[in-house]
Amino acid sequence: MLDEKRLEILTESAKYDVSCSSSGSKRVNSAGGLGNASVGGICHSFTPDGRCISLLKILMSNDCLYDCEYCPNRRSADVPRASVTPDEICELTINFYKRNYIEGLFLSSAVFASPDRTMELLTETVIKLRKVYNFNGYIHLKGIPHADDTLIMRAAKYVDRMSFNIELPSEKSLKLLAPQKTKESLLLPMKKLSDAIIYDKENKVRYKKRVVPAGQTTQMIIGASPESDGQILRLTESLYRRMGLKRVYYSSYIPVVKSSKLPTVGAGLLREHRLYQADWLIRFYGFNVNEICDEGEDLPLDLDPKCAWALRHMELFPVEVNTAPLETLLRVPGIGARGAYRITEARKYTSLDFDNLAKMRIVIKRAKHFITCKGKFYGSDSVKAVNAALLLEDRTDRAEQLSMFSTPAVAQSALTGEV
Amino acid sequence: MTYYLTDGTADCFYTAVFDAYTDKDCIITSEKNVQIGLGYELKEVQTDSEKAERVKRKLDALDGSAVDDVNIMLRSCDPLRENAAFAYIKLIVKHGGSVRSMQADPRVLEAMDIHGKVTGELHKLKGFLRFMENADGVLYAPYSPDNDITDLLALHFAARLGAQKFVIHDVKRKIAALYDGEEIVMTRVKNAEIYLSEYERYFENLWRQYYKSVNILSRPHEKQMKGYMPVRYWKFLPEKN
Repeated sequence: MLDEKRLEILTESAKYDVSCSSSGSKRVNSAGGLGNASVGGICHSFTPDGRCISLLKILMSNDCLYDCEYCPNRRSADVPRASVTPDEICELTINFYKRNYIEGLFLSSAVFASPDRTMELLTETVIKLRKVYNFNGYIHLKGIPHADDTLIMRAAKYVDRMSFNIELPSEKSLKLLAPQKTKESLLLPMKKLSDAIIYDKENKVRYKKRVVPAGQTTQMIIGASPESDGQILRLTESLYRRMGLKRVYYSSYIPVVKSSKLPTVGAGLLREHRLYQADWLIRFYGFNVNEICDEGEDLPLDLDPKCAWALRHMELFPVEVNTAPLETLLRVPGIGARGAYRITEARKYTSLDFDNLAKMRIVIKRAKHFITCKGKFYGSDSVKAVNAALLLEDRTDRAEQLSMFSTPAVAQSALTGEV
Repeated sequence: MTYYLTDGTADCFYTAVFDAYTDKDCIITSEKNVQIGLGYELKEVQTDSEKAERVKRKLDALDGSAVDDVNIMLRSCDPLRENAAFAYIKLIVKHGGSVRSMQADPRVLEAMDIHGKVTGELHKLKGFLRFMENADGVLYAPYSPDNDITDLLALHFAARLGAQKFVIHDVKRKIAALYDGEEIVMTRVKNAEIYLSEYERYFENLWRQYYKSVNILSRPHEKQMKGYMPVRYWKFLPEKN
């Protein structure tokens, strides 16, 4: 049976993978089986770094053939090595799941022996978990680059979600920092999975028989290489639009490894937070990347990307809350997706004023510069004054947190267990 | 002003709605220690299932999800739950249909707020409930929720755990849901004696080790942790004890 020491090594090695979400799958329990998936995902605990624990995130082995510069488990690193057997993983998953510690398993591995052998053992583990242990909870499996396609597609039939990590936002950086991984070894299997997902949907394949019903995700490290936010977001947008990815995760670079090819300081959590905000604008607010950030540019750190966009387009504001269409409301700073929906519902019955909006949890102090209610306007009149007011507000928000923590940690940066 | 005092059950509440419907100046409550001032009258409502059924039928005809919504609201720990549900029902009847989309009406906002707190806690506890394995293989989870959600939580775990027997024990309300692998039974429980299985401590310790290892020390954000996982739930989490 698994001992605490090996669990420690293999968890420590897995924890820099940001994704821990358990959403997107509607898998049901089978007769005599254990577990089901909850489509919205469920968080089971939260660690002192503010991240959720939803899945048992563990490596099969941390004994790696590859020598990726940024990775604590790279071949040339002098760290304790460990591995576990498929049965040990299955038993641990079942016993954690029964006690409601976890929502399922997130299985990954260092590349040992060969990419094919590694992928084979990962596949064997998830098949065993499904067939021998009758487990119907959530499984997220990491794909191994350079592994044989048929192995990857076989595994995809048994798991809820798969991910190949892009690792770095450009081919050049990938070559420099992860020389054994190629762009093709990451993107081709993603494309293949994406095609299979589309095929299942178009041919109305039964839900139970579908490959990766919760789709695929990826992750890249921010700040270990020189790419601008504009470049990163363009890559992100194409991953969402062309590959149909569910999520792109950003992992702010933390210098855990000393190397002449890597910066000595971390990228900071604020940059990561701004990227997530821009990511949300692309997915849920109808923005395209050209509106948010030019290719060579970084996102402003002092203002969130939606405020920054609105300030550049003051000629479009203020808009009348009682008549503006949903797409316009979504672009008002201080009105979120839920708020915009509430407004469009509520105004069918009554004409809204600022009091109504406050009760509907619209952030008035931000929105007031961009809206009128029944013709009334309470915002500042010049772009300069609005800019100053928004900056001030952002700064007071952050000052509260700075007083408690040593890093400018901004809320929600690693919120991953939710939809 | 008249206080309609119910026994806390849904049917008694619906009976009170029937009785109080034309009373312009009244409050429905199940709080036993209401302070009654001068000029206030107290009416103790006796459950009348015929009246309750009539109210439910009417409500169901007007808005298919209203009875479910009210059912959720009545589980709240908010002392004003019955009255908020009453105002919500009156609005539905007056409007002649679903009022869910009246997102600026204070009665709808109040109702949705109470509703959201109950379903929110239900969702949180689907994650934060912790089972211990008994020597005979039954899972036992003590907890202490703000709202009365034990039977709803049991439904979630029955679908999830299949043939696995379990007990969910609300230690504050002294009630428990028992599941034998087929059916859920609600029962009153004073205290439970548990004999843990021989592996229970081993897995608890592995879980503690996992919790410790998966945290990234260089990114502390305790405020966010406490925001998502309020301290009042920590008492029953092995990783926090």
